[in-house]
Amino acid sequence: MKFFIGAFVFIVLLLFSVSVLLPKKEKRVFSDEQLREATLSRDMSSTPKNYDELLKILKTDEKNLFKEKVDLGRDLYFEKALSKNKDISCATCHIISKDLKDKNIYLDALTSKTNDKTDCVVCHLSDQSATDRFETSIGDAGRENPYHLNTLTTLNAALAKFQTWDGSVKSVQEQVGLSIKDASQMNLSEKKAVERLAKDNNYAKKFKEVYGELSFKNIEDAIAAFLNTLITRGDYDRFLDGDNSAMNPKAKKGLAHFLNFGCKGCHTGVSVGGQSIQKFPLRDYNSVVDVTNSFNESQKGREVATFDFNAKMYHPFPFENKGGFMGKNGERLFRVPMLRNVTKTSPYFHNGGVAKLREAVHLMGKHQLGMNLTNEQTDEIIEFLKALEGDVVEFDIPSKKANL
Amino acid sequence: MKSSYMKFLIILMFLSGILQYSIFDLNWEYFRIVQAVHIISSIFIAVFLLIPYVNMHTYEFMIVKKAKSTSGILLGITLFLIIVSGIYLFFVGNRGGDAIGSLSFYLHLYGSFVLLYFLFSHTKKRFSSKPLVIMLFALSMTFTDSIYAKEKLTNIKIAEGADRYHNEDWTSSAKCKSCHEEIFNQWADSNHRHLVGTNPYYMVMENLAGADMGDEFRQWCMGCHNPSAVTTKQKRTTHEMNGSLMPDVLFESGSKRLLDDFKAHGNSNLEQGVSCVSCHRITEADSKGNSAYTLKVKDRKKYALEDSNSEIEQWLSEKFINSNPQVHKDSYSNKLYKKSSYCASCHDEFLPDESKRQVVSTFKEWEKSPFNNPNDPTKHKECIDCHMTYLKDGEFAPLKGRSSDGGVIKDDVKVHHFSGSNHFLSGLKSKEHEDQTLQLLRTSAKLDVDIKDSKLIVGVKNIGAGHHLPTGVSDFRELWLDITITDAHGKVVFSSGKLKKDGNLADDARPFMKVFGDDDGKPVGLLFWRYKKLLSDTRIPAGEKRVEIYDIKDAKELKHPLKAVVKLNFRIYPQWVTDAVKRAYPQLPNPPVVILNKIEKEF
Repeated sequence: MKFFIGAFVFIVLLLFSVSVLLPKKEKRVFSDEQLREATLSRDMSSTPKNYDELLKILKTDEKNLFKEKVDLGRDLYFEKALSKNKDISCATCHIISKDLKDKNIYLDALTSKTNDKTDCVVCHLSDQSATDRFETSIGDAGRENPYHLNTLTTLNAALAKFQTWDGSVKSVQEQVGLSIKDASQMNLSEKKAVERLAKDNNYAKKFKEVYGELSFKNIEDAIAAFLNTLITRGDYDRFLDGDNSAMNPKAKKGLAHFLNFGCKGCHTGVSVGGQSIQKFPLRDYNSVVDVTNSFNESQKGREVATFDFNAKMYHPFPFENKGGFMGKNGERLFRVPMLRNVTKTSPYFHNGGVAKLREAVHLMGKHQLGMNLTNEQTDEIIEFLKALEGDVVEFDIPSKKANL
Repeated sequence: MKSSYMKFLIILMFLSGILQYSIFDLNWEYFRIVQAVHIISSIFIAVFLLIPYVNMHTYEFMIVKKAKSTSGILLGITLFLIIVSGIYLFFVGNRGGDAIGSLSFYLHLYGSFVLLYFLFSHTKKRFSSKPLVIMLFALSMTFTDSIYAKEKLTNIKIAEGADRYHNEDWTSSAKCKSCHEEIFNQWADSNHRHLVGTNPYYMVMENLAGADMGDEFRQWCMGCHNPSAVTTKQKRTTHEMNGSLMPDVLFESGSKRLLDDFKAHGNSNLEQGVSCVSCHRITEADSKGNSAYTLKVKDRKKYALEDSNSEIEQWLSEKFINSNPQVHKDSYSNKLYKKSSYCASCHDEFLPDESKRQVVSTFKEWEKSPFNNPNDPTKHKECIDCHMTYLKDGEFAPLKGRSSDGGVIKDDVKVHHFSGSNHFLSGLKSKEHEDQTLQLLRTSAKLDVDIKDSKLIVGVKNIGAGHHLPTGVSDFRELWLDITITDAHGKVVFSSGKLKKDGNLADDARPFMKVFGDDDGKPVGLLFWRYKKLLSDTRIPAGEKRVEIYDIKDAKELKHPLKAVVKLNFRIYPQWVTDAVKRAYPQLPNPPVVILNKIEKEF
């Protein structure tokens, strides 16, 4: 009996003292220049400002990206004929407005007599987030994604090495075709798509002008060309380009955490993510007793971080496993999501299981880094994520004729 | 176990109990710990040690050895009373509603001194403990009054340096429900509860303000509509989602989603909008600017385990509050809350520029009205005297009841329906709320009608409102006269104030309202923040009468008697506003036209 009491007391004392006894790893403190240098040191950089930089980053040339092609791609992005029932287009789920310069878009949607839009789009169009903010995507005939997967944004998608949640697709071009054909998305066969567009003189003419012929491959290519131009720039990019005042001190602190804690190990590249496939959750805390931070008062009030006897069922994710998607090969391997514009793309994770960004940051800290971020650290990281928000760059794209 | 151990334990319990006594004025941080330790350890000690020991002891001496000990019997009785009163305090508490609660409280408090006395006298070796006990008694009697001393108005400023709150600093209103169920249910369907994500008109307007003036401008709206989001540095108001669907928040009564959300996430998910804490933790308020109030949300006295997520711990914390609720009461009430200036911080609204043009000026209207009459208390009426008083059969009928379950019965418990003019949105959720608001609206105006020299003269007097009629966002309110005159054959010979086919008010109607114009003198429409010039103001000030005169064509040739039916109609939002909101919220029904007053007269 005495032994058990002694052992119990010893364990409790150990748990209390462990945070004091463990050596504290000094975190680097950065000056603005050092912060920039450290950020740029590993593939991370700002997004292109102009057409030439865009070509460079896409590793393509002006023969492949010119105005006529992008305009055609834009038309196709908004073309409802590319869905089985002619009622949805790419832009139905990847919501963005056709004319980004139009500032009256919201007021018009509310008051114009000719407008027939009556739903979420009315408000959310002005987000220009290129996603629908639903938990799961809804495609042809109201069909939901069979795995309850969330619509990903098309903004900056061209900069990612891997596409979709499990990273099985390697380019936007490939994904465009898949999205058109997928039964839970636009549900239209290659043949039908070409047939429909061929009937439209306008398209027939444009395809002839751009490609010489109308084929499904060229449809994919044109839409991909448009997606290649959906690149955003924000405060973070201006900071990396040398403007120290572009990011506020809190956001800079957040960026320093991002580097120090190791977030950038996965969320890297120009797109700040989308460059690799990683396991999630890395630590799943399915042991019988979960003692993570049970003695850390500051984390009380969070449903996952308190001392808990884990009597519940084994849970693969720290949120509801809606849809049962288990990632690549069913091994909980996921493409690292891009963090650009993440503030506009809630809900989070593959099945939209987490509604709030704060909770998402907390979960990433806990399960991927094994640390419980303090409230202040979370504030700062979120401030940094806000700096990743950006507007679509209006590239001055030369026409094909100019290249000839 | 030896009796000396028992005595030691009793003294320990006595000490931990007496430390909570108000004369010691223990620092709150220590108080909450001492209280929890006292209650929990008392339960364990009493159940596992003391009661079994006393049983054994009594059996051994009184039944086996047949000893006679008066002090022993008295000690036993006192101990019994203290345990019983302790049990009552724990399970029921001293909430004020029943005499047994306060009886238990005093029995537990003073009985402990008696217990201590008998404890010392019930020893083999007697020693004189009388002086000590008498001294303690005297001490306790001198301070009796201080236990329920009246609260005083505090003048505390917000903790300096705190530049933001975190989600966990706010407490979800759902938590308050367990003890204040009735008040919670009143608030849950009221317009104060539905100021943000569940209010389609607000969501559309905030988005529009953001689109028109930049996202930063949303803070102007959020200052009053969404204090918790502003203080946690959120950029915009968000709404609930139910998977990929927008839940039917418009029609859901009792704030069910809020309760579910609290159950699932505790305080880590922020409750947006005007919650219990956002009003009940305001320390200062005035009418000098937009949302001019001081919050003190983080730094408040919480009982042990109050913030816990575990159900047992939460249950325990409620027991801690109930057994000695004074600190809890003091934390959430303030004399300021009865004054109109408290409401002024949000019910006076200015444009956020140097002009400080007033968009809403309800408080200033009240200040100038006959209702603001501090010299004559019988005529003086503060905001809450009308807007938080229960109505029955069209009359103010102060509700006799409790504000907390098991609490004191008050003669005029302030109801949290927050009846104002918006009978529509709260009415979609609760008929009671709709009824209360309509009753209040119908106390506001009186009509008179006359026909003279081919002129129809209608007078509308604001008799019931301590502010203009309509007030608030009176650019988005419709109050107008609906007039029908029929001749002897029943043929309509004159009419005014009818609705057009599309639901909008006909052009001949003369609504009592304000119209804002922009720089060019054009009406601002939905974009009321563009207000530069006041185009017209036909509202009726408190106590005043507005007379509308209409020409009747060919009046002399009409067949008398003429029958005039005049209705004072009210619609909470004009049709064109609802039409715009319906684009984003197709499920929104059209607000009905309600008749506030009606008069029929023959000439």
